[in-house]
Amino acid sequence: MSRAKRPRTDDLDPSQNPYLAHMYEDQQDGSYSNGNGAASTPLSNFKRHETTALQAHAAEDGPNNPFNNTPLSSRYFNILKTRRDLPVHKQRQEFLDMFHSTQILVFVGETGSGKTTQIPQFVLFDDLPHFNGKLVACTQPRRVAAMSVAQRVANEMDVKLGEEVGYSIRFEDVTGPKTILKYMTDGMLLREAMHDHNLTRYSCIILDEAHERTLATDILMGLLKEVAIRRPDLKIVIMSATLDAQKFQRYFNDAPLLAVPGRTHPVEIFYTPEPERDYVEAALRTVLQIHATEPEGDILLFLTGEEEIEDACRKIALEADEMIREADAGPLKVYPLYGTLPPAQQQRIFEPAPPPSRPGGRPGRKVIVGTNIAETSLTIDGIVYVVDPGFSKQKVYNPRIRVESLLVSPISKASAQQRAGRAGRTRPGKCFRLYTEAAFKKELIEQTYPEILRSNLSSTVLELKKLGIDDLVHFDLMDPPAPETLMRALEELNYLACLDDDGNLTALGKLASEFPLDPALAVMLISSPEFYCSNEILSLTALLSVPQIFVRPANAKKRADEMKALFAHQDGDHLTMLNVYHAFKGAAAQSDPKRWCHEHFLSLRALQSADNVRQQLKRIMEKSELELISTDFNDKNYYTNIRRALVAGFFMQVAKKEGTGKTYKTVKDDQSVLLHPSTVLGVDSEWVVYNEFVLTTKNYVRTVTSVKPEWLLDIAPTYYDLSTFPKGEIKTALQRTLDKIKRRQAMKGGR
Amino acid sequence: MAAQDPPTNNGAEEEEEDYMNMVIAEPSKPREKETYTQRRLRKEREAEARGRVKSKAERAADEAAAREAALSASLLTDPENASKNKGLAMMAKMGFKPGSALGSKDNVGARTEPISINMKEDRGGIGLDTEKKRKFREEVEKEAKRVKAEEGDYRERVRREREEARLEGMVGAAMRVAERMNGEREEQAALDAGEDLDETTDGTKKRKISVKPLKQINVLWRGLIRRREEKERDRRMRHDLQQSLSRLPTYDDPDEDSDDKRALGKEAARYTVVEDLEEEDPELDEFNALDPAQRLQKLVEHLRQEYNYCFWCKYTYPDKEMDGCPGLTEEDHD
Repeated sequence: MSRAKRPRTDDLDPSQNPYLAHMYEDQQDGSYSNGNGAASTPLSNFKRHETTALQAHAAEDGPNNPFNNTPLSSRYFNILKTRRDLPVHKQRQEFLDMFHSTQILVFVGETGSGKTTQIPQFVLFDDLPHFNGKLVACTQPRRVAAMSVAQRVANEMDVKLGEEVGYSIRFEDVTGPKTILKYMTDGMLLREAMHDHNLTRYSCIILDEAHERTLATDILMGLLKEVAIRRPDLKIVIMSATLDAQKFQRYFNDAPLLAVPGRTHPVEIFYTPEPERDYVEAALRTVLQIHATEPEGDILLFLTGEEEIEDACRKIALEADEMIREADAGPLKVYPLYGTLPPAQQQRIFEPAPPPSRPGGRPGRKVIVGTNIAETSLTIDGIVYVVDPGFSKQKVYNPRIRVESLLVSPISKASAQQRAGRAGRTRPGKCFRLYTEAAFKKELIEQTYPEILRSNLSSTVLELKKLGIDDLVHFDLMDPPAPETLMRALEELNYLACLDDDGNLTALGKLASEFPLDPALAVMLISSPEFYCSNEILSLTALLSVPQIFVRPANAKKRADEMKALFAHQDGDHLTMLNVYHAFKGAAAQSDPKRWCHEHFLSLRALQSADNVRQQLKRIMEKSELELISTDFNDKNYYTNIRRALVAGFFMQVAKKEGTGKTYKTVKDDQSVLLHPSTVLGVDSEWVVYNEFVLTTKNYVRTVTSVKPEWLLDIAPTYYDLSTFPKGEIKTALQRTLDKIKRRQAMKGGR
Repeated sequence: MAAQDPPTNNGAEEEEEDYMNMVIAEPSKPREKETYTQRRLRKEREAEARGRVKSKAERAADEAAAREAALSASLLTDPENASKNKGLAMMAKMGFKPGSALGSKDNVGARTEPISINMKEDRGGIGLDTEKKRKFREEVEKEAKRVKAEEGDYRERVRREREEARLEGMVGAAMRVAERMNGEREEQAALDAGEDLDETTDGTKKRKISVKPLKQINVLWRGLIRRREEKERDRRMRHDLQQSLSRLPTYDDPDEDSDDKRALGKEAARYTVVEDLEEEDPELDEFNALDPAQRLQKLVEHLRQEYNYCFWCKYTYPDKEMDGCPGLTEEDHD
């Protein structure tokens, strides 16, 4: 039997680590018993890490599926033909040669090269994980991508999704015992690493879309760099779509690079001669001009957010109607595209452009007005013209005032290049940049700042601690964040009692890291049984983890506000949200949730996903033996308990009203803020906790609930140690509260 | 409501205390001077300032200022924060030194400062702010230059201006010399070639309007001719205007045939010069852009080379050596 020889061939393979041979032997025994059915597959005489493209080619040609030995369908062969036309296919042998020669490989393939679907399959035919009881993992930054790519690859391999090929995303795991290829979000792999520091389940890890530099990908890269030393048998492939791959190479100790050209057409780039006074107006003008003067082809316009996009869509549609009436222009269809748009509406962007309004008339055209999700994550064919005003909404975090917010910011050169590339997917295209060439060269940064530099790191630090990384200062990240960011994260975790003063994980910290939540939320949830309201806090946590549940359409603002007022609780937005959830779970709403949500201006999708998140969190709570209890609704302390539990998590996000006017001051950071206009809270609450601090043209705190200063001193005494406070109104007020408490206690003691 | 009152009362108390402190620090002087009425008025003023609700713009400015102040202050260098901060203490235990960056030692590009926050408050396109700033800066610089020039030595400026005017005068003189010498040479050449056809007119030496197109005249003195022709044109146009009453002389009446035109003395040929003058002349513009000293030098050199004439000696030497002329410049002739 050829298989009996395999351990020996591994021994002979000089690229293999000798320590590993016995490991394979061990696992060989395991796979013997359950892998017998595969004995006669074409793969059984493959030598691991010595295969060629030719061998794989033959195995792919069937007639039986090399992985489960069942006859291959005709659909499989149809797809196979198109797969072999993909640009990566030509370099399969080159890929394998390089894969054999190194532990870490950097692979660059532009969008359309087929890397996401093909490379993991190339690896499967060479790495043969099923003979060792291991898996190949391929990470994706987005949930949707992980799901859809897994489905696609399952079709390509002619297997059922969830068997040989599966996916795993937060709150959803579609894999089985037979799974050998697992698509997953980068965050999921990180969670797995928390319990399995060496990622022993996997024989090869592919990090896809590494150029997007999500927080989780960056942490994973730092982690894999260490794991690679501990596990010489682990193969790592870093895949990126941009040519800035040298940075990855350098980071991974000069790993070899393989580049595959994409299937793109040239894109002509136009700049404006002068800077624009109003980029939105300039964008609309450009779109209409393209429609009036350029030949057939769809348009993609990049704007920054939902409101801006909806507004632009309306204006373009209006102007286009006039052009059709007065200048015999072709019909024009406008589609918005942004993350919070319901999936059904997102799908509409794939509808074909409208036909000419009469036979022989000017051709129709579609315009897609989207955020930067149209930049990399979605591929829309037929786009020939791209209009790029050069802005996107980006998350920013500043540790000095502890604010994490979405701000409209200039994009990077790399981003501008990506956007332009969208015009050349089907044929040569044009990109209209609404800024000057000089501005492009001088004002735009080279690369978008990776997420790790723009985020609050408290949950990341907790994760790193759980991953067994103790020296956070010298942890080798590709782009280490500013020291102050780490300092704030450690400080916050210390105040939350997740880390002790020496920086070690406490029991609470360990527990909190089990929850896929922000540490403040996790701590609030964990301590909620002490306040007799864990059921309610569980619901609230779920509600705070999903997108906005209230809907406020531009054409029915008043009605929406009236509906919201039905649920309003005078003490704050958190309680109002809870009221909504309870009503949603009531019989009246559940009989026809869709209609009920529509009538009450609520997002069914957000509420359903909150429901789902609640289920998941509940499971973790039960596993962690956290009691699920409620105060009796008729008890006068029902809402007070919930507000007190809020303080247990959010005591660092408190603001106090200033003597005059409507402004509040944030505690310790001393920033002037206003309550967000969406709040149901009256203006006479002296102290509030807030869920987020947002920067727009004004400083706002959003989702606020009123609290009492006594609770702050009582529940978070370390944070509210008055000696740490700067002199000012807040300190004075707290001092007065403290004196009052002392007096009261003294009086009690005296009696 | 009751909860809101204490801060204001308290504020007043603090005010009082401050006042008392001041008395101790500065022995009794202010107290003596301040009468009861003065004190009452001051208190009123202070209370008013405290009680006044700030305008929206003021609040926004305060807010932005507080934000900027907080954003620009490093948490690591603030002594009060740095000594007490537990996060920093933990980092110090891991071997962190303030001023250094995180990550591997080999990572030279690691940042030590957080990314700054820039709030975009309008819809200006990329590069608009820089463009505005650039324009503003240029304006400021220009203004600064102007002021500087004004502040500069008045006498120096007057002297320079006078010197320039003197040089311009000499350039004009040199141009006239060059034109005359060139005219003489051409006439001589015409005489040599076409024998003596024009003897009668020759004697009068009347200066006539050049028939040559301007561009064929040497750039060195073309300016002179051009000015002269412009003058002549203006004179004629004024004259024609006064003659024709209602119509511009250039008006081309379609009803008039060529005979009419001749009868009215309006042959188109008369205006060729005008058209010539209206043409762009980059060569001349370039020459005129030089400063007068340079123009003068070119003319002087031209006269020496072509005619063995020294502008300073006012003498035509017989040969190329120009024996006896002290040199090229005016100073040489002092």
